[in-house]
Amino acid sequence: MTTKIEWESSLDRAIARAKAENKQILLDFFNPL
Amino acid sequence: MGAVTYPNAKVAEFVMKSLIPLQVKSDAQPIATDFNVKWTPTLITLDSEGKEHHRTVGFFPPEELIPSLLLGVAKCHFDLEHFAEALAALDKLLGEYSKSDSAPEAIYLRGVSRYKSTHDPKPLKEAYEKLQSEYPSSEWTKRAYPYRLIP
Repeated sequence: MTTKIEWESSLDRAIARAKAENKQILLDFFNPL
Repeated sequence: MGAVTYPNAKVAEFVMKSLIPLQVKSDAQPIATDFNVKWTPTLITLDSEGKEHHRTVGFFPPEELIPSLLLGVAKCHFDLEHFAEALAALDKLLGEYSKSDSAPEAIYLRGVSRYKSTHDPKPLKEAYEKLQSEYPSSEWTKRAYPYRLIP
């Protein structure tokens, strides 16, 4: 099964997960158009 | 990025295993203003406190994104003086993506990390010699130029 990136959409949620999982955050600003 | 790079299986696996992926629209507020975002795609590596350590602007193909993200991880650890973790990320980058555009900066940062963790200046000179040998035109070779004088 192919892995797909499951994006967080909240910085606070990402920070909480980064602390819990001892990881860094990839923050991607994208243009939806 | 969404059409080519992120769907790539190797990229997706790396991101899900190594990072917390957070994606927001470039006009989302207040975060776009807080991070001074002016163009897309803008990719930023943050530590677990939300502090920025690495930023790129523009498209990356799959074979360049993973080493760039490894460099971001290494820079987070380096800035926090976690040199063993920084060196682990840099060694992975240089072992698996030695031909990538991120490699010269990784060689430079590896030399500095080794120096800062041991206080032995020899790794700085070794970094310059490797850069001069393998990437003579790189800006990182120029930045390491003074290290050639280390005895």
